[in-house]
Amino acid sequence: MKHLIASALIGLLPLSVGATAIEEAPWAPRAAAYRLSLFMANLTPVPWEKIENNWTAPAPGSAVAVEALSRVSDSDAQNIRAALAAEDRQALFAAITTALAKGILQHLEAAEATLGQPEAAFEVAQSAALYRAFEDGILAADKQAAHDLGRAWLVLNSSLGSTGILNNGAQDPNVARFAEAQKVIVEYIETNYLPSVFVERGKLTPAPESAVRSGTPVVLPATLPPGSNIADQRELPRLVLQFEEAGEDEANLPLVAYGDMLFDSPEIFGSPARDLGIACSTCHNRSDVNRDFFIPGLSSHAGGMDVDSSFFNPMFNDREDDHLDTPSMRGIRFTAPYGRDGREPSLRSFVRNVIVTEFAGAEPTPFQLDAMVAYLRAFDFLPNPQIDEAGRLTDKASEAAKRGEVLFNTEFAGLGDRSCASCHTPDRFFRDGQTYDIGSAEPPFPGGTATPFETPTLRNVNFTAPYMHDGSLATLAGVVDWFNDTKDLGLDAEQRADLTAYLRAVGDGEEPYQRFEGRDSVFRLSWEELTTFASTLDTLIPMRDAENIAVLIDTVAPDLAADASVMINQNAKPEIYRFAAILQAVGDASAAGDWAEASLQWDAFKTMQAEIDERMF
Amino acid sequence: MLSRRTFLTTVAAALTVPATASAEEALKLAFIPQENPEKLLGDIEAITAWLSQQLEVPVTGFVTFDHAAAVEALRNGDADISFMGALPFVLAEDQIGAVPLLSEVYRGQPSYSGRVFVRKDSGIETLADLQGRDIAFADPVSESGYLYPLDLFVREGLVADAGDADRFFGQKFFAGGYQQAMQAMANGLVDAAGASQYADLYLTPEQQAEVRVLGESAQIPSHAIIARPGLDAALQARFVDAMLRLNQAENQYLLAYLYGPDGYVAADPKVYDGVRQMARRYGYLK
Repeated sequence: MKHLIASALIGLLPLSVGATAIEEAPWAPRAAAYRLSLFMANLTPVPWEKIENNWTAPAPGSAVAVEALSRVSDSDAQNIRAALAAEDRQALFAAITTALAKGILQHLEAAEATLGQPEAAFEVAQSAALYRAFEDGILAADKQAAHDLGRAWLVLNSSLGSTGILNNGAQDPNVARFAEAQKVIVEYIETNYLPSVFVERGKLTPAPESAVRSGTPVVLPATLPPGSNIADQRELPRLVLQFEEAGEDEANLPLVAYGDMLFDSPEIFGSPARDLGIACSTCHNRSDVNRDFFIPGLSSHAGGMDVDSSFFNPMFNDREDDHLDTPSMRGIRFTAPYGRDGREPSLRSFVRNVIVTEFAGAEPTPFQLDAMVAYLRAFDFLPNPQIDEAGRLTDKASEAAKRGEVLFNTEFAGLGDRSCASCHTPDRFFRDGQTYDIGSAEPPFPGGTATPFETPTLRNVNFTAPYMHDGSLATLAGVVDWFNDTKDLGLDAEQRADLTAYLRAVGDGEEPYQRFEGRDSVFRLSWEELTTFASTLDTLIPMRDAENIAVLIDTVAPDLAADASVMINQNAKPEIYRFAAILQAVGDASAAGDWAEASLQWDAFKTMQAEIDERMF
Repeated sequence: MLSRRTFLTTVAAALTVPATASAEEALKLAFIPQENPEKLLGDIEAITAWLSQQLEVPVTGFVTFDHAAAVEALRNGDADISFMGALPFVLAEDQIGAVPLLSEVYRGQPSYSGRVFVRKDSGIETLADLQGRDIAFADPVSESGYLYPLDLFVREGLVADAGDADRFFGQKFFAGGYQQAMQAMANGLVDAAGASQYADLYLTPEQQAEVRVLGESAQIPSHAIIARPGLDAALQARFVDAMLRLNQAENQYLLAYLYGPDGYVAADPKVYDGVRQMARRYGYLK
């Protein structure tokens, strides 16, 4: 759900609020490189080349496209380069922490030297932008220090004075107050981020040296590195649910509604996915794909990641940097087997695999698996009038596509005297349920056997770029070229264009993206979805199913409250908070075994929903 | 030449402009940094390229340190046009005769308000409860981030004037921006924040649920785009026409490069009367 909400923020943000306020603000280049380096140095194996790129090329999430290394002193740059060359984590930590800490102090010195001038505010802002890289470490380790330092930054900013506007509204700086606050920050940074020697660290974090030295465990909240994007998809895919298109309401299908809720719930995953708010729908947004999903270090490009790295589930770590393109789930009931390598024969076993092995969740209950499969089985393809029920082109297809259809069904020696259609079988949803080694992956060792991959459907393929299991080909034309080159098909340019036109014809779909007009907003979509999820309480409360009620409440109540931030009608926000609180009260009563109270609160929720529904947009 | 003292970075329009365009016709835009001084650079490149194409003159943009530097640039001709808050505008109008061209629109309105925010769990129920407590404002030269929220205390008879605010509050801070003021309040560094009506959107959704509005000011004209006096009237008119074309569906994606408004309307100088009065009341204007 959160991914769905965040996608609208750009259009909704108001006056004087930057265009990316709720999205994570860009980082100062050095701070971005620092945080990226810590995140990547904690992966196993450590991707040293990527860490080096954080410093020698513009870092993801950086406010400006400059090399972070260009902003540190020569000696600090030398230390960073030496640590990278030696592939020494501890030396890297010491070098980059020192460089960042020095940057904080240097900008403060520059601010002090320019007090009363506009540069002073700029220098304090630059210093604070670097301090941001340490801030959550300090807060996790020492709340009092975090508070004192936070106040010191306030004092710094308040002591700068102002030249006003051509002296209108000018205020004098307060030099003594500035110096006092500066001293607080300088002493803390020198003690905790510029020690003569850093204690040896297992996990690299921005926790202060004094806390690490004391041996007291410091638990930092799970974070993703700068440049990550898990929740901001600009174009929301249109969700085609079979029952809904046939006129049935999801609220009348409690098993499906509960499965829909689980698909949107981080609660079924383990840490860190759950803590980061990652759910099935984060990647498989609205049955399709979040093409903007990107985590530096895990994703080689947007729209996928290495799902078996050490980050989400170390147990499942294959120690290979093997980015996997996220497949669309449209029409998934028709496209077994599952997994790019087709390792799971059933949807049920694949869902369990994602929850337990990929994202370290607890074993799902049979009911939860039933619910999720019931929901997933409702996903249909986008309708496509250019093909008939047997996958043949209709009159709506172009002449080029029709020429391409002939080529698609032509046998080629390079394909083993088979045609494209032999595997992408038109009357079987353009797939055949088999796996093949088509040469898109290298064998694991010389003479070894390369992983075969399942034949993906071509339905709605226009909206699922990039292509191949690793997303290595950006366009359908590129896919045609790849087959032509690697399989010696001998197609000329015109034939390749025709074949591409055919792929685009069979890969098309009506209204691929959700459209919003007026009150029909992203928030409204979420509102309807979340209240539908809640409607399963009509079934779960009489069953006294406290376990599944807890999952539902923990998912829906916080999402309802969080979604208020993107309402067009901001005046209605307080009502949403009260509404979410009632739902939480249902959960509290259920957990306490007070079923009378749970029913009472659930009735109150439904009554309020009816009362406020009109204002919720 | 732009001096390092006043300006951060200049971004030239990426598009080639017609060779016939004279240097006199070139347009220089000043942008005000918000939370991160370096954040705007990519945006400026995109918007100046589009404007160059629309106006058929070279358009350059640069980020200034603050409103004061932008006004100074308008005065000495380093900038022709600047983005500007309502309070800095009326001060610039008074000092150099700057003229408003366009007003930003958010949620259908070319105006907004200032608010006083507190945490719900603070036990603070009224503005009077903030006596002896700490408050963070955004910036001393800010209408919604200082003067208008402060005026709420004056109207309630709690504070006599800006100077008296130091007596009423425990400590009064200028945090450096809306986001810093709101985060200081939400994180418990201070008891209240005075900031824009929409500043709670700088908080996480979870934090937003934990704050409440203690007071709301009168409406303030939204941020403006202003021109230096003497800028060629025809070029001014073409610029305004081009900016109004951002309201068209096919161009609206560009608004994200311009502080993210819903659109623009032509400015009406009269709507700033309230801000002029406020600036006089608090000694910003003689």
